[in-house]
Amino acid sequence: MKLKPGSSGSGKSTFVNTLCESPVILRKDHLDAEKAAAPKTVNITPTTIGLLPEMDEDGLKLSLTVVDTPGFGDNINNEPAFTDILEYIEHQYEEILSQESRIKRNPRFQDNRVHVLLYFVQPTGHGLREMDIEFMRTLGPRVNVIPVISKADSMTPQELNAFKKKVMEDISHYKIPIYDFPYDEDEDDEETIEENTELRGLLPFSVIGSEDEIVLNGRRVRCRQYPWGIVEVDNSKHCDFSKLRYMLLSSHLHDVKDITHEVLYESWRTEKLSKEGHHDDDEEEVVIDG
Amino acid sequence: MAPGPVGATNVSVGIANLPNQRHKIVSRKGTNFTVMVVGESGLGKTTFINTLFTTLMREYKRPEHRFNKQMDRTVAIDVVRADIEEKGFNVRLTVIDTPGFGDYANNQDCWVPVIKFIDDQHQLVMNHETLPNRKIDDLRVHVCLYFIQPTGHTLKPLDIEVMKQLSSRVNLIPVIAKADTITPAEMLAFKERIRDCISTHDIQVYSPAVHSDDEETTRRNTSTLAAMPFSIISSENDVVVNGQNVRGRQYIWGVAEVENENHCDFKKLRNLLIRTHMHDLISTTHDSHYEAYRVSKLTAEGRTDNDPAISARRNFEAKMKEEEGALRKRFAEQVKVEENRFRQWEQKLISERDRLNEDLDKQHTLVKQLEEELEEIIAARKR
Repeated sequence: MKLKPGSSGSGKSTFVNTLCESPVILRKDHLDAEKAAAPKTVNITPTTIGLLPEMDEDGLKLSLTVVDTPGFGDNINNEPAFTDILEYIEHQYEEILSQESRIKRNPRFQDNRVHVLLYFVQPTGHGLREMDIEFMRTLGPRVNVIPVISKADSMTPQELNAFKKKVMEDISHYKIPIYDFPYDEDEDDEETIEENTELRGLLPFSVIGSEDEIVLNGRRVRCRQYPWGIVEVDNSKHCDFSKLRYMLLSSHLHDVKDITHEVLYESWRTEKLSKEGHHDDDEEEVVIDG
Repeated sequence: MAPGPVGATNVSVGIANLPNQRHKIVSRKGTNFTVMVVGESGLGKTTFINTLFTTLMREYKRPEHRFNKQMDRTVAIDVVRADIEEKGFNVRLTVIDTPGFGDYANNQDCWVPVIKFIDDQHQLVMNHETLPNRKIDDLRVHVCLYFIQPTGHTLKPLDIEVMKQLSSRVNLIPVIAKADTITPAEMLAFKERIRDCISTHDIQVYSPAVHSDDEETTRRNTSTLAAMPFSIISSENDVVVNGQNVRGRQYIWGVAEVENENHCDFKKLRNLLIRTHMHDLISTTHDSHYEAYRVSKLTAEGRTDNDPAISARRNFEAKMKEEEGALRKRFAEQVKVEENRFRQWEQKLISERDRLNEDLDKQHTLVKQLEEELEEIIAARKR
């Protein structure tokens, strides 16, 4: 399950449609001129797409749920939007917690926890903005955050490299927790370590999305056509879209789910339960909040 | 003052030489041009300024410094000056940048420092008009370029709010930044939606006068107007395309050229700003925006129109007369009161005098009597 915040017009909906190779997310009336000035609330809408079985490992059917957040980052004051999204994520955790605590659990319960949050960073060329930093810092402890550079066709290769470097510097300077393909030097095999190091080096992923196809050199290519050239979505020299897709849907799918369940959910659970007055230590008196 | 007789001279007197005189004066004095750029960071404002005048006017922000400033949440006003010369003609150029604008999570009121700066310049000129020495550093903003993010959708609430505030105070020209992110088809739709938004929200952007005597100029003006808001791409680097050096951005898939009219409207904007409408921008700033500011300021202070000096004097005089009448009346009353007092005092004195006189008389008579008695007694003794 994926959640994707980023300001309007950063290419989120196009990205989803490109990822799923079908127009999943339709443009709504946020293009209306009259409504443009009104402050919008973040509209958190999950859409479930069942993907083809060939897409993933082990031939398992993958049910992908994408949560889009149109309206995020558009307003003059965007701070309320942070809490809306955080509450959505924590709400899913709460559902799980209450399910776990039931005497008779519901076998058909759907796990709606968010496994990955793709944060779309604007290609300014100047590093992260205050809003980006605050948001990722707020949400990093609850969900796997992967920063993505949207509309990467606005930067030349040198600018892109410099920008990626700046973003990563900002992330380490402000100690922003993100999903950075963790690996264990002792336990994992060399292949995994290599793969993870490579993916880590590509962070943040540069992405270009397009729903239009043309025929180029005899094959159908998804691309964006400019007067000065054609940008191909699946060409790894043009952007990191294909690597991101592979990583999300195949290679690291289980990894992000595991981390969500074993690390993020557990830490949330611990915090929540200790706030309510439960202590693990049997020797201490149990303090019951009145 | 009634206009005198109107007629054309049939001998060349030399009036037609006026524009040449103007030209000489202006080329000697040079001119003063102030441009303000407003927009979120990373939209290419600095690059645009450097490209527009083909000089390195602004240094880029140093990446190391971003860690210091980020958490301030302020909008600064940066003023950069340069003297530019082309073929002997001088321009004292001032560029005003607004770093920090729109960069934060909460951008409420981030436009206030910008608006305040523009108003302050008008106020400064207004103040100086009444002083004996009127020569000041005129920093009034002649044109404000608002950089719109190339979302492809429509204007954001921040854009609308800020443009509304700016358009009533300064010549506003919205530009679509980083136009090399948008394909031509998307660009047409985007511009259409922006124009829609601008007219729905009643934002007065600067539109150059279209008609002129010269047909060529009219055509050029129409095409310029149709292209607004201008899409721009900026670059300080030259790239070799087909053996020629052009300003452009080198991508893996091609080169986006700055001066190519099919790629972006940079050339149109530059022509408008410098070649054709610089003087218009300067004069409308003085003639309409400064005047509007002045009117609003003065009516707020309570002065009204209709030849204010004379009506003010008239009011003043009427007031004076009234006051004078009142004073006079009071004076007359007081005089009367005093006179009465004096009269009474006089009466008192007179009656006092009379009384005293009477007493005196009585005393006299008594003395006479006593004298007579004394004489009688003396006479009686002598016998």
